[in-house]
Amino acid sequence: MNNLQQTARVGLFFLLGLALIWVTFETLNGGKILKDEGYAITAGFESLKELKQGDEVRMAGVRIGEVQSTRLAGRRAEAILRIDPMVTIKSDATASIVTAGLIGTNYIGIDLGTAGVPDLVPREKTRSPRGFFSRILPFLQPEPEPIAEIQTKTAADLNSIMAQIGALGEKLESSLGSLGTAFAGDGKNPGLIQKIDGLVTDNREKLTATMTNIREITDKVNKGEGTLGRLISDPKLHDELVATLNEIKAGATEAKGFIANAQSIIDHVKQGKGAIGTLVFDEKIGDDIRSSVATLRTISDKISRGEGTLGKLLNDDSLFRDTQAIMKKADRALDGFDDTGPITAVGVVYRGLF
Amino acid sequence: MNQLIKILEGIGSTLQLLVRSASYLPSLPRQFGRFVEQCYLIGYTTLPIVAILSFFIGSVLALQAGYSMQNFGAKQLIGALVGLSMARELGPVMVAILLAGRVGSAIAAELASMKVYQEIDALVTMNIPPARMLVMPRLVAVLVMVPVLAIIANLVGWFGGAIICSSTSFIGIEPTTYFATMRQNMEFKDVLNGLIKAEIFGFFVVLVCCNIGLNTRGGPREIGAAVTRAVVVSLILILVLDYFVTKALM
Repeated sequence: MNNLQQTARVGLFFLLGLALIWVTFETLNGGKILKDEGYAITAGFESLKELKQGDEVRMAGVRIGEVQSTRLAGRRAEAILRIDPMVTIKSDATASIVTAGLIGTNYIGIDLGTAGVPDLVPREKTRSPRGFFSRILPFLQPEPEPIAEIQTKTAADLNSIMAQIGALGEKLESSLGSLGTAFAGDGKNPGLIQKIDGLVTDNREKLTATMTNIREITDKVNKGEGTLGRLISDPKLHDELVATLNEIKAGATEAKGFIANAQSIIDHVKQGKGAIGTLVFDEKIGDDIRSSVATLRTISDKISRGEGTLGKLLNDDSLFRDTQAIMKKADRALDGFDDTGPITAVGVVYRGLF
Repeated sequence: MNQLIKILEGIGSTLQLLVRSASYLPSLPRQFGRFVEQCYLIGYTTLPIVAILSFFIGSVLALQAGYSMQNFGAKQLIGALVGLSMARELGPVMVAILLAGRVGSAIAAELASMKVYQEIDALVTMNIPPARMLVMPRLVAVLVMVPVLAIIANLVGWFGGAIICSSTSFIGIEPTTYFATMRQNMEFKDVLNGLIKAEIFGFFVVLVCCNIGLNTRGGPREIGAAVTRAVVVSLILILVLDYFVTKALM
């Protein structure tokens, strides 16, 4: 092998090694050989937990980018998220740090936001001007600067859940201690069990008598004695109860039919059918009624003012007095007529017969 | 006591050789041919054995991890385990041991025979410092070639683990899952850590072997003894340095 071949092989081998180191670097640091295009946004959290550079950003479970870098910004931690080009995020969408599994890794989860709400970054700004060479050799061009900030929320993590469980355990332990003291007493004051024991001991005879009474009552009920016993044991009462229930059911069915009929009538009335429907919903009849009422009002006004025959009849006292005088005269005439009445009647009969 | 003095003498002479070699660094362009030749011997010719060993180390690691972790339901993490083990520990240590066994022994044998047959004395007589002609190009070559060998060892070991994970019935982890877990739980810092370790190990292996070869005294029988001593000292040095370098890089 000549020197040239040897040198070429060594050079090739060295370049191969460099290329493999670069591939490993890119794979483990950025996740991809070629740097992605896109735009960057900021997400601020109280703590980034285990989140690190290169972790995924997912929207509704779909990967839309990655964590470009993390940094401290005052009293909070910030993650710079690189979002794929042409992926738009609603301005009301929120980001949270999600843990995948108990021992899994973290990623940023972004919700879809509300439809119709404006985008956090306008679509025309979602494509960065990275060239091909700057994608392969990222040091030629710095990472995109964040152009917006997304709202964030704190998702419950395992540590906080465990802390809550711990606090719950402490409360449970304290409650059980109190319960134990209440049951068993604290040495000075008797507990619930001692109190119940004392109560039973003191009232043993009364309790025995009460139990005996209860046993007697249940025996009677069992034998079918008394109202309750007969109600339970007598099949006739059961049949009557069933019959009554059937009657109630039949009554309910009829009531249902009645209500259905009433509903049908109401529907007819609503549709303006029939006399009541026409009266209620026909505008022409309404106009006629209004017109008639107006006419009646006019007539009553005239009567009130004493105009016309009826008005004068109601309002003029002289007519009353004249009528009264006529009635007196008529009364007297009738008295006279009563005196001559039998004679006239005999004359009429006579003329008829002869 | 004599043994301790010998150890201290060895450390002192090695450091002297390092300083002398470093002082001849500007003459590297004039010795480019020698440098390339050493690169070829240290890197190119060592590659096949490094690849074979890495593949099987990665495979065995995945197999043992899968067998042990199946009881804990943590088989998905085999990728991370193999990746981190290969990158941080096994890759660099294995490359260094191979260098000690294959390259270090060859260097010690070559320089020891040169010393025994007075070729080194001849060079000194001609005012050619052995450190400049025989040591410095080897040290530079090992610095250039070891990272390449180490990264290849890592990648081959990772792929070996992936193949075993997907082809073994009781593991049954797809390469996609294997590499995804590896990526999620590893950073380039871990790989860089391993490369730095491999660089340090390789450099000291070559330096120690050169020093033992150049300090050989006696007849031809001493050549074999020098080779044995070079390999043993290199292996001990690798494992001792491994602890301290790992501690320092954490």
